[in-house]
Amino acid sequence: MEDEGVPAPLDQRLSPQERDALVAEHGLTRMGVRPPLRKYVRQLWERRAFIGVLATSKSQARNQNSYLGQLWAVLNPLLNAAVYVIMFGLILQSTRGMSNGIAFIVVGTFMFRFFEQSVVAGSRSISGNVNLVRSVHFPRAVLPISQVLSELTTLVPALIVMGIIAFSSQYIPGQGPVPLDWSWILVLPAVALLWLFSTGCAFLVGRWVAITPDLKNLIPFVMRFLMYGSGVLFSITLRVGDGPFGVALEHQPVAVYLYLARAAITDEPSIPPDVTMWWWGIGWALAFLVVGFLVFWRGEERYGRD
Amino acid sequence: MTERGADDEIDFEIDPEDLEGSGPVVTEIGAPSLVVDDLHITYRVFGGKKVSPTPEEKPSFAKRILTSGRDQLGGVREVKAVQGISFVAHYGESIGIVGINGSGKSTLLRAVAGLIPPTQGAVYVSGEPSLLGVNAVLMSSLTGERNIMIGGLALGLTQRQVRERFDEIVEFSGIGDAVYLPMKAYSSGMGARLRFAISSAATPDILMIDEALATGDATFRQKSKERIDGVRENAGTVFLVSHSIATVEAMCARVLWVHKGRLVRDGPADEVCEEYKQFVRQVRERRKRDARAKS
Repeated sequence: MEDEGVPAPLDQRLSPQERDALVAEHGLTRMGVRPPLRKYVRQLWERRAFIGVLATSKSQARNQNSYLGQLWAVLNPLLNAAVYVIMFGLILQSTRGMSNGIAFIVVGTFMFRFFEQSVVAGSRSISGNVNLVRSVHFPRAVLPISQVLSELTTLVPALIVMGIIAFSSQYIPGQGPVPLDWSWILVLPAVALLWLFSTGCAFLVGRWVAITPDLKNLIPFVMRFLMYGSGVLFSITLRVGDGPFGVALEHQPVAVYLYLARAAITDEPSIPPDVTMWWWGIGWALAFLVVGFLVFWRGEERYGRD
Repeated sequence: MTERGADDEIDFEIDPEDLEGSGPVVTEIGAPSLVVDDLHITYRVFGGKKVSPTPEEKPSFAKRILTSGRDQLGGVREVKAVQGISFVAHYGESIGIVGINGSGKSTLLRAVAGLIPPTQGAVYVSGEPSLLGVNAVLMSSLTGERNIMIGGLALGLTQRQVRERFDEIVEFSGIGDAVYLPMKAYSSGMGARLRFAISSAATPDILMIDEALATGDATFRQKSKERIDGVRENAGTVFLVSHSIATVEAMCARVLWVHKGRLVRDGPADEVCEEYKQFVRQVRERRKRDARAKS
């Protein structure tokens, strides 16, 4: 009924030859085409200030609707660690055979939580920012990068708390020593590698969830699987053994970063400093970062349509 | 975004404020700046319900049981917002886009600005188009000050440029010290004014304006019109989507009329607007008649 009085649609389509001639003559470029890789990286680099501001704003905004405000950035991982220390460390005694089970679990849960939050945030990088994507031009890789960076900014205060708990745990009867020595510095490169690895993962899930939103529902299960498969709460070597399966579990990326962080802080005989583990960590970080970035870049022209 | 048809309000009232001022700035029409070639945009909409072609006929009980799950499972509908639009725009042109609600105006504008990737067809441009919208993204839990920085950087300004223009943006928006409060504390008018001020802080080659003039009171509208005129004299091509046909008439020399995702008229503003107004009047009368028939 509402079509009454509307003129018939116009057909002003240009022939391909006319169009190509126009485009060539006036030097027009096609919109919405994924830029070549090198140009994309350069555009991304030009937006580094935007990435930084977006990341810090996000982490600031996160805890604003509460009385304790930013304190929650520390309280959340702390409570999270407390639950696991009580349930697994004290009641189930999953760390039996370790010299200091509390430090072991605390370092594990803090590091794993950062990874988990980064992946969840990465999965929302397009779907949670549709308005931004539909109103301004910029390389979309800005979004997953800033999401993970924002998690990193909240991790920094949490790391200090993690160090304090791990250090004071040695005064609890039955817990072995956690000496404060120079090896603690190595936590920083371990976190840096984990950050790069998480960014790579955020690129991957960012694209997958943007194209198929259903995958978002699988993330919590994958995360739980990874949590138990990476020895966040128990030692893989002591529980699974040195067989091929145990070795494979020890060398999957999340377990590698947990190993590096624990080797830096705790003084477990079963987790000695290990150079090959650093190589594994560097390898996984670079591999996921590069592959994730390429996968994300290849989807560039599809983001924002749905 | 969705197909709504003409039951929503059709706003074509003539606002005296919009008619003040110079009318379209007359500039020489130059080389083509934008070619839209057979553009199609199809949205995936999740959670939609399939609409049967014959709604009057009630399906049998068994059939309803069999199909009831299917509605919930994978309720994806495709909405064809733009269905094959082609046109060429030139430097120095100001083009208005009119059409009833849900006809695909805003989608067309966003696709032309390169913000929604086309499902089929292509858009060719010279330079980088910029969309000036009142719905620019801002984070409501952060202060206006922080949002100015985010918005400015998103538009491609450097941090220094944003800091330089900060005072100007605040002054233009007229929100004063409220800029240091979180945006969720703003009235909708304040928010819209700040968004407009932020998004017009950068001057682009091709400027697209989506309903931006509808916000704010008369003085703000006058100010924003002046600003758009200023930007327009520098920008090559201006696109304007507005509900107010008077605004389109006052600012544009050429008008595209979009209906149900298709281009139905493309020509000089006065001719197309006249035809469009007549159409809107018809729809109104028809609706009034229907309402009377019902009661």
